Amino acid sequence: MAKLDFRGLLALLCSELLVANLAGCVGHRVALPEVRPPSQVFDPLSEELKKSYLTLFETASQFEYSDAQIAKMQEYLKQAQDYCVGRFENVSNEYQRRVDETQKTLKKPAITEEERHNLHCSIQDARALRGEADVISQQAIPVAYDNKRAKLEVIQKWPAQLKEIRASLADGTYKLRRWADVEDIGFREIEKDQQADIKLGQESIRDLKASGLMPKEIDDDAVVTYVKRVAEKVVANSDLHVPLHITVLNSKEINAFAFPGGFVFVERGLLEAVDDESQLAGVIAHEMSHVVARHGHKLMAKATVSSIIYQMAQIAAVVLTGGAAGIGTYYALQYGFYGLGLALNLNLLGVSRDFEAQADQLGIQYAWKAGYDTSGFIRFFDKMATKEGYVNGASWFRSHPPFYQRMVDSEREITYLPKQASPTVNTTEFAAMKEALTKVSAKAEEESKQRPSLISPEQSCPAPSKLLYEPDQPIEAICSTPQTVSVAKEPGN
Amino acid sequence: MFNTANSFCSQRAWQLASLFAAAFLTAQVGGAKEPALETISLYLNVEKDGGLITGLTQGNFRLYLDGKPQPFRLEGPEEPASIALLVEYSASSGYFLDDLNASMQGFLKHAPEGHWYALATFSRELEVHTDFTKQVGEITAAYSQLGLPAWNEIDTYDAVYEMIDKMGRLSGRRILIVVGCGLDTFSEHSMDQVKAKVESEDITIFVAALGSLFRGSYDQYLNSSARLSLIQAQAFLQMMAQKSGGFAWFPNHFNAFPDVMQGIMQSIATQYRLVYEPPPRNFGKFQKIKVEAFRIVNDKREDFKVLVRKGWR
Repeated sequence: MAKLDFRGLLALLCSELLVANLAGCVGHRVALPEVRPPSQVFDPLSEELKKSYLTLFETASQFEYSDAQIAKMQEYLKQAQDYCVGRFENVSNEYQRRVDETQKTLKKPAITEEERHNLHCSIQDARALRGEADVISQQAIPVAYDNKRAKLEVIQKWPAQLKEIRASLADGTYKLRRWADVEDIGFREIEKDQQADIKLGQESIRDLKASGLMPKEIDDDAVVTYVKRVAEKVVANSDLHVPLHITVLNSKEINAFAFPGGFVFVERGLLEAVDDESQLAGVIAHEMSHVVARHGHKLMAKATVSSIIYQMAQIAAVVLTGGAAGIGTYYALQYGFYGLGLALNLNLLGVSRDFEAQADQLGIQYAWKAGYDTSGFIRFFDKMATKEGYVNGASWFRSHPPFYQRMVDSEREITYLPKQASPTVNTTEFAAMKEALTKVSAKAEEESKQRPSLISPEQSCPAPSKLLYEPDQPIEAICSTPQTVSVAKEPGN
Repeated sequence: MFNTANSFCSQRAWQLASLFAAAFLTAQVGGAKEPALETISLYLNVEKDGGLITGLTQGNFRLYLDGKPQPFRLEGPEEPASIALLVEYSASSGYFLDDLNASMQGFLKHAPEGHWYALATFSRELEVHTDFTKQVGEITAAYSQLGLPAWNEIDTYDAVYEMIDKMGRLSGRRILIVVGCGLDTFSEHSMDQVKAKVESEDITIFVAALGSLFRGSYDQYLNSSARLSLIQAQAFLQMMAQKSGGFAWFPNHFNAFPDVMQGIMQSIATQYRLVYEPPPRNFGKFQKIKVEAFRIVNDKREDFKVLVRKGWR
């Protein structure tokens, strides 16, 4: 035990020294942003950017920030992102250097078995940290700053938008918008011939199953029955004219996706991520809307499920074989770290902002008609964009970015809809589902921990390090001196 | 090296560890493997006239270590098994591509759900393409995008040695499926070293031997040197399978490879597991294993062929 403690301390010391050395690194931008609004503007504005979209929609009209101040803040965010990305890129390079140097040391003659073991542990740790730094610099930071910029736009533009919305409500022109006839939901025809897509959907599912890549279905009745009940409630209040087939997959990916013809897949990670029933209903309604509007049918001509699966496998292999550099990393971040649902969504649906906007609008309408709190959809966006955990699992969010226009369009649609008397936010069934899901997740996690590995062979190493990154923290804290922490070791990882 | 079992056994291990604390610490510092664990799982298949026999009970088996009867119990196989595919993928393997592709198609078709699967290839060196996953499709999809092999070497001995070494660090039931021709061009390890490695780890090796063209259509055109090389390669593959309690298939046509994969999966599905507490022995010295399987039909003993490792080193 004493020996392990010593190793742990040594590793911690090395990590700290490494981080301290980063001060001299060169990268994108070595200095903190030069442009920055005065602190009496910067400080409160920074705090506002941490608030939810819903809060900003409510309070934006009270702000008195000038366009010049907002522009300065935008420039600050741009520079801050560049600085932050650069810092984490340098961290990545530094860990790679550590790997290279340790590998050289390994080649030295007459090293003892204990030294060799320690060097292996060091390489293992540095490789993992390098991977984390890459994800943070190429994925987490850009998304976090996209989100901040979108919120800044809400602060700047929403008051004017709100005036327009109120004006159109007053003069009735809001009834001229696309699919304004919400009182006829269920009797409208958003797209003709939904039935014609059933065969295409069945073929896609057959391809998916034959590929051997489809995660197993959850076999817990309480979870599956609940999800089906929520989905059926939404369907009953939608323009879907084909039977709904809902499948709950036992995958930790935070995602849901739909195939043409009424085949909707919800993944376990999504059920874990949603906080209430209205959020889940919002996501299911959104995916269902893709089926209603026949988006899959239109896009599948360009990309078959087989080709997507093939592409995804290529990318996953790039990551695994250590080739995650340059374009490889780009695609890995796009697909490889997330999973099947993301690849399908990005290739089948996520490539079109028009389709997303349509699905947002219809999804909000169906959730509303089903009696759900329509803000659930936006709240889920917010959670995914803001929480630290989204980086590694929120693939639904990756294919559904929260750009400003989308948030505003969603809020506008919500404002146009007749007010609900007492919309459903949550139910006792949701809580029961969550409880049942805990067991399913625990079992899956346990299985995941038991997973054998050929990749990380060095055993009995000190607890691995993890890079700290919390999007809500000021860049002075998260970027100037990137910190590592020691985490409990997970076997097989 | 050997499988651990239940908490009772863990307690025993703790007692043993306390008794041999000095030796234990030496092993930790030196990185050497500690052989003194409490139970051994011995995996085997039983067959008759080429057909796998299932449904036997403990009374149908006899186990002998170095010729002496050894008490054991028949238990269900550890699930899930860790099954790794080691696939030859060299620029010199052009003649084997049909065999390879048919093998992988067969694998996708016949690999049952629930086990862990991994894919590694080799030419000059070993490359792990898919770490253990329960989604068989990840294996075949990774294989389908391998691209052109860069090296001409077929360093089978090194690859098998390294793969056994990697799998030897895992626990539970471990199975290695080698899809290769058995030739070796430039390995650092010798065949004897590979043999010793196979004997020292409880990993069952099944082989789908590439080279159906040479065993089939091209056989008559081979000169004596090529024929000798092939015989040596086959002997190596056969040795690995036999020493580890597995089986090697040598199809004469690529169309047979899906059936070979089915055969391998059936063998895995019908493995028996004999669990015993090993008597003290001189580690490093080869310990012979013999298992008899039989059943009594009409008061007559009907013996079966047992595919089991030849012993432990």
